[in-house]
Amino acid sequence: MNPEITRLEEENTKLKEQNAMKGDLISITAHQLRTSLSAMKWILKMFLDGDFGTLTSEQQNFIQKAFDSDERMIRLVNEMLSINHSEETLNTVHPIPTDIVKLLDEVYFDFTGESFKKGIELIFLKPTSPIASVTVDPEKMRVVFQNLIENAIKYSNKGGRVFINATEKEDSIEISVRDTGIGIANEDKENIFGKFFRTENAKKQDSIGSGLGLFTTKKIVETSHGKIWFESTVGEGTTFYVELPKITNA
Amino acid sequence: MNKKILIVEDDSFLQGLASTKLEKEGFTVTAASSGDDALKLLKTDVPDCILLDLILPGMDGFEVLRNVREAGATRAVPVIVFSNLSEDTDIKHAKDLGATDYMIKSNFTLDELADRIKELLK
Repeated sequence: MNPEITRLEEENTKLKEQNAMKGDLISITAHQLRTSLSAMKWILKMFLDGDFGTLTSEQQNFIQKAFDSDERMIRLVNEMLSINHSEETLNTVHPIPTDIVKLLDEVYFDFTGESFKKGIELIFLKPTSPIASVTVDPEKMRVVFQNLIENAIKYSNKGGRVFINATEKEDSIEISVRDTGIGIANEDKENIFGKFFRTENAKKQDSIGSGLGLFTTKKIVETSHGKIWFESTVGEGTTFYVELPKITNA
Repeated sequence: MNKKILIVEDDSFLQGLASTKLEKEGFTVTAASSGDDALKLLKTDVPDCILLDLILPGMDGFEVLRNVREAGATRAVPVIVFSNLSEDTDIKHAKDLGATDYMIKSNFTLDELADRIKELLK
């Protein structure tokens, strides 16, 4: 065997190991940071709620600032985790036959707390009869639906509704995530899947975001031989569609 | 009659804060600092809801959850996993073991937690 190839392979293995270690280190650090940040968040909120007695308006004002600052830090940690995750996500794909309804149900479960907190109704319109499976990497596809549902909740206002739907078509399974949120302006539509792209409206709604969510989402859908597209009207809402080739019993 | 909450949390500071807040919200709170202590308490006193951290000394939260779901007396008690772990594999594992809800600590304030518990116990 060519010694140069052997050397490159060894190098590659080493780099992969180092990358995995970096990923683990980020996860552990994030967990530690979150523990301290949670403690601060809880205490400051209890002060703000008057749990420790009434505050003067000056105290209220400063503690609110400390709370906002802590919140910002928490979101930075969350972003750091999601960038770490997105790197891991794009590196390897292991497709297997997957029950998409079960997967959606699990992702739906992950977001029940978050949507409840934001006062947004999250509804999974489960198909009434079993639908065909698809060949995807379930862990990667999970990230796709997490990103779409997370965005739908993030860019909706209190009282909004988010619908998750899965239907079987002739050759494919179509999944949609529909929200009644802020919508995407026409001039932003062509860039929405771009790396690091964020719309002005999105920044207004939520100042922290990596601009990697939909970029990663599209990459995963395409490596799974699927298609992704959307329809959106500003002020009315957005629907994202993901179409995946279904497994047919020949 | 106040609803009873068992908090399983090894960080005494977080445990104290959560207990204080939930008591103010009208719950009766007991707390355990390890999985073993939690299971011991559950043998004599079944709460209306369990708030469960995952990283605990000795037996971890997953193991506690498995035990809670296997024991007849606690099988149907709602369990909210309350952790700062957010890996998909952890969330999925907790759900597969029968967690009622999974909340990431740093993403919720304690009044939001209290609201969630009230909603679950309605």
